[in-house]
Amino acid sequence: MTSSQTSGTAPLVSIRGLSKSYGQHQVLKNIDLDVHEGEVVALLGSSGSGKTTLLRCINLLEIPDKGRIEIGGSAIFDTPAGAGRGAAVSQRQVNGLRSRVGMVFQHFNLFPHMSVLENVMEGPRTVLKENPATNRDRAMDYLGKVGMASFADRRPDKLSGGQKQRVSIARALNMRPQVMLFDEPTSALDPELVGEVLETMMSLAKEGMTMIVVTHELGFALEVASRVVFLDQGCIDADGPPADVLLHPTSDRVQSFVNRFHATAELMRPLLQNN
Amino acid sequence: MFDWSVIFQNTDLIVKGLGITIYYTVLTTVLGLVIGLVIAVAQICGFRFFNWAGRLFVEFFRNVPLLVWLLWSYYALPIFFGINISKQAAGIMALSLYGAAYYAEILRAGIQSLERGQSDAARALGMSGAQAMRRIILPQAFRRMIPPLAGQTIIQMKNTTLLSVITVPDLLYQAGYISSFTYRPMEIYTAIGVVFLLILIPSNYIARKLEGHN
Ligand SMILES: Nc1ncnc2c1ncn2[C@@H]1O[C@H](COP(=O)(O)OP(=O)(O)OP(=O)(O)O)[C@@H](O)[C@H]1O
Ligand SMILES: [Mg+2]
Repeated sequence: MTSSQTSGTAPLVSIRGLSKSYGQHQVLKNIDLDVHEGEVVALLGSSGSGKTTLLRCINLLEIPDKGRIEIGGSAIFDTPAGAGRGAAVSQRQVNGLRSRVGMVFQHFNLFPHMSVLENVMEGPRTVLKENPATNRDRAMDYLGKVGMASFADRRPDKLSGGQKQRVSIARALNMRPQVMLFDEPTSALDPELVGEVLETMMSLAKEGMTMIVVTHELGFALEVASRVVFLDQGCIDADGPPADVLLHPTSDRVQSFVNRFHATAELMRPLLQNN
Repeated sequence: MFDWSVIFQNTDLIVKGLGITIYYTVLTTVLGLVIGLVIAVAQICGFRFFNWAGRLFVEFFRNVPLLVWLLWSYYALPIFFGINISKQAAGIMALSLYGAAYYAEILRAGIQSLERGQSDAARALGMSGAQAMRRIILPQAFRRMIPPLAGQTIIQMKNTTLLSVITVPDLLYQAGYISSFTYRPMEIYTAIGVVFLLILIPSNYIARKLEGHN
């Protein structure tokens, strides 16, 4: 069922036979997924279908039960042949590889005891032991890019939700990740703040950043994503160009999902077309 | 009926006792915090054995009366293990471990009260568990834990009075000693009580102030 884009080059993210259960409940069932450089994948699916779990498995915030995950050609997780359960490669390697995958959370998860600038500098400072001056300059560049440079000295709790989310995008970018994961980045925002975060993500996409985005914004999926992957009860139910998957659904699941969000998609369309 | 002059005649002994009380309070608080942090981390780390050992430590000390534990440390330890420890060492060890169990509970609760999102964000940046703890979790947790830690330290100071039963010459021991030759226990113990109040009431006040700031 997987119809991953074939672009000749090796995929940046490659997932094979990924399974994950919580107790008796199998949340991910034998997932295969390839994401190539520059792709923007919208990961859709109803609540509880396993989107968050899949995303968290990709940077091993959740340890899968079985399967193989490669980032940029190196395996970060692999089930040894014959073994019942898989194992991450050594913890140190995991930390290193994880720093190449940026993640943006629904609830921002900014560090409240640090200023905006310190938040953005924290990764390179602690993980990469980077020179503070270089780090600061680049952090300010990224803050400028998300339109938050003038807030560098503020504390996160003084910001609006949209501003927090833009800072958290800058924080992830400052590690210069090869791929960015977004878990419903606009779901916790007031409706009038959704646009500024989507705009930031669109400009990232235009620059060629590889992105996997869990979202309920069908407008974003249609206008910005290069590909839609639809998850249903832990299986990939549809995978292809957004217009094909969403406008001419072949699966009943996708059809009913689209119907439910149709109103939202219509609302978003004018906003997105202005850009 | 009361003769307060015995206090002024023996201020040197009272001051000496106060010095010892403060010395043991500070030392066992610092040791208790360090051991408590180790126990707290053991309880929440990824290893079952450490979780279990940490839990056992806390349950043991929270369910044994301090006086029993103190006497046992001083009198029974040498018999069971053949090690001869001074009363000072026994007192420091007993009070530090006892305090550590309570500090561990405060630290563990403080660490666990942080939303999972904070450690997720730290790990997603590529931090190791230790880096996330040091840079993200503990700085935030400590801020929340200042009031209960201050409260426990006040209890720790009061607990040092038990050291007198193993003849460490703290405030309470000095009070007994002064009474033994002045026959004025009422005045002496009243004075010792006032010394504790004078130190602890402002300390409590400061602890509450800190709470207000959080
Ligand atoms: N830590 C956990 N322990 C137990 N069950 C879990 C855990 N995390 C997720 N689940 C379960 O796994 C299933 C998939 O969860 P997941 O969060 O991946 O879904 P989702 O597609 O992201 O849903 P939503 O749109 O609501 O965010 C759900 O049934 C959820 O209850
Ligand atoms: Mg989710």
